[in-house]
Amino acid sequence: MIGLWVVIGIVVVLIIWYVVANNKLVALKNNRENAFADIDVQLKQRHDLIPQLIGAVKGYMDHEKEILTRVTEARSGAMNAKSINDKVSAENELGAAMGAFNIQVEAYPDLKASANFMQLQTEISDIENKLAAVRRFFNSATKELNTAIESIPSNIVAGMKKMTVQPMFDLGRETRAKMDVAPEIKF
Amino acid sequence: MLLAFPAVILLGVYIFFSFLYYPYYQVANWYFLFYLPWIAGGVAIWFLIAYKFHSSLIRLSTKSTTLNRKENMRVYNLTENLCISVGMKMPKLHVIQSDALNAYASGLNEKTYAVTLTTGIIDRLTDKELEGVIAHELSHIRNKDVRLLIISIIFVGILGFLVQLLFRSLLYGGSGRRKDSKIDGRVMLVALAIGVVVYMLTILFKFALSRKREYLADASAVEMTKDPIAMASALRKISTNHELDVKSADVKQMFIANGKSKRKNLFNKLAGLFATHPPIDKRIAVLEQM
Repeated sequence: MIGLWVVIGIVVVLIIWYVVANNKLVALKNNRENAFADIDVQLKQRHDLIPQLIGAVKGYMDHEKEILTRVTEARSGAMNAKSINDKVSAENELGAAMGAFNIQVEAYPDLKASANFMQLQTEISDIENKLAAVRRFFNSATKELNTAIESIPSNIVAGMKKMTVQPMFDLGRETRAKMDVAPEIKF
Repeated sequence: MLLAFPAVILLGVYIFFSFLYYPYYQVANWYFLFYLPWIAGGVAIWFLIAYKFHSSLIRLSTKSTTLNRKENMRVYNLTENLCISVGMKMPKLHVIQSDALNAYASGLNEKTYAVTLTTGIIDRLTDKELEGVIAHELSHIRNKDVRLLIISIIFVGILGFLVQLLFRSLLYGGSGRRKDSKIDGRVMLVALAIGVVVYMLTILFKFALSRKREYLADASAVEMTKDPIAMASALRKISTNHELDVKSADVKQMFIANGKSKRKNLFNKLAGLFATHPPIDKRIAVLEQM
């Protein structure tokens, strides 16, 4: 008789452990997806601000057609990107275009007198900071999920649910190599 | 760990009754159980009142006002970005008009969490340094240090009150129920001594806890900003001018920096045991090693 109770007890404990581990993995996965969606929120705000910025510099930087076109095209590329990899590379291109744009702006001191332009610059730079912050959060959410997927008791449950280790948001080897090169400054 | 506080109070009361009715343990137990609900009830009510009104008390004693987002876009954005990077809800922001460089975190639950900064610290620190300070205060909130500190302050207060009660009943004579007043006088003294020792232990315990949490907050802040050098530089600037004119010593322990800066001789080192914060030079040294 006692043997039967022991077996029932063990089964109950196993079920409880499975439920707890499962729920924890689900919560971590949703946390990561929430962070990913939050990145999209910031990206959209960035997309919305860029036309205003371009409008503000129109009177001053009419001769800089090249850089303005690059920014505008990068923006539409980012807004139209579908798959995740396309999105990442489109946003990186937009970031690079904005960087080049900022360097060109330095050659037009009149722009500093335009309060509208300075306001937009502050807002865009704040968006970039927020984007960095939300990407950091995405990475730490990914780290927690991956740790739970790989650690010993919960990796059994993760295997049963066919969960695999997820990638972090990082630049990837090629882009990192490109970014490590200092930007060209042409006068 | 927090349960240690009420446990200590109850233990002290039990020891008191044991001594009073020695060797009649059964009588002592009976008295203890009789008074227990009164003591527990009294402590609980005191605790609830202090808990409810503490944040208004703190704001009144430090004269802080709510931060205006438009005027202080910089501070608001720095805080918002830090909160986004760790997935935390933004606390309220307050300002104290003062040239001294100081800051504190307060609040016991999501509705009341707040970070207060002086105008001095906002104006004098660079963006990276201010980010480090705000990250330190946010870490206190995340690690629930403020809750721990306020609960321990309230309990130390209650214990102090009980010890005072004991002291007064010793001074103004017994109740006349007992037969041999001389022995009871000595017993009361022993009980009082125990009460005082227990009180001192809780105070030292509170200070040690407080110092440990400060180091933890520094480390958590660096984890948030990944910039220990900026934090060290901020502490350097703060160490020269952080004295704020606030009456209550209890409130002062929640600031980012409290107490005199240099600790050279032995007397000061002993006084260090009673410090709520680790010495600033030590904190800077730890940060620069990271």
